[in-house]
Amino acid sequence: MSGPKENVEPAEMAPAAKAELDRAFETFYREHLRDVYSYAYYRVGNHHDAEDLTEQAFLQAYRHFDRARRESDGRPLRPWLIRIAHNLASNYYRDRSRRPQTSLENADPIATRHDTEDLVAGREELRQVMANLDALSDDRREALIMRFALGMDNREIARALGRSDGATKVLIHRAIKQLQEEMADDPE
Amino acid sequence: MTPSEQPREKVWDVEALLGDALRPIEPPERLSGRIEDTFTALSAAAATELSDWAEELSEAELSALRDPRNWVRPVVAVSVGGVATGALVLFELRRRGKAEASGLKGLAGGVRDLLP
Repeated sequence: MSGPKENVEPAEMAPAAKAELDRAFETFYREHLRDVYSYAYYRVGNHHDAEDLTEQAFLQAYRHFDRARRESDGRPLRPWLIRIAHNLASNYYRDRSRRPQTSLENADPIATRHDTEDLVAGREELRQVMANLDALSDDRREALIMRFALGMDNREIARALGRSDGATKVLIHRAIKQLQEEMADDPE
Repeated sequence: MTPSEQPREKVWDVEALLGDALRPIEPPERLSGRIEDTFTALSAAAATELSDWAEELSEAELSALRDPRNWVRPVVAVSVGGVATGALVLFELRRRGKAEASGLKGLAGGVRDLLP
């Protein structure tokens, strides 16, 4: 029996409904392409796989977009989209037995520093923090990527990770604390 | 170097460092084009699929055709069609035969008219 929450794939929709869905999805896609790409890049560590992952995430999102809109009750859909990317990235590692390779390739550190010595020191600090970030558990690292690369708040991160708000707050707090300890212990 | 300058004693502003290290990354332009091409292709494929589907038999029609009781009509239709086709072929052959015969008769008559 078909209920109101049942997913109707775009290809099965009436033309007018599909046109409206396509327009809404296009806006959604343009608003969040950078978020998904940033998240994917920091998860997989290279542009090639980040592009594949981003494309897959949007294709999957498109298939379920209508249902997600109906079930969101007006809440932002970004956590749902990032959760799709998160699941795809998890499959990516499971299938290929890979680990993320964080990279400073695109991090242009600290534009306000002009002194060369400071700039080098800045890069070294960033290298350290990225190396320590890489050593965190998956859930802590992902929460920090969502917080700092995507600017998501605790509630959004909680929804993306499928956790409670309180548990997410604790997760982020512990992740930052662990990084501070690792950085303090770093011989550099 | 004073003790305060020792790296081990440095107080790290980890959140500021994370803010610098984890900057949003602009997707390459080719990615936007690639994704938009994929969606365009999907829309085109969906439209073609819908069109093909409309031309195909419905599931009920396919089920009906699988029932041997419904094979009588197609068999009769094929038989009738075959007979009709045969009749048409026969009729055509006869028509051509008559035409050829009348043509020969006419030619013979014309030749005869020319003879002294």
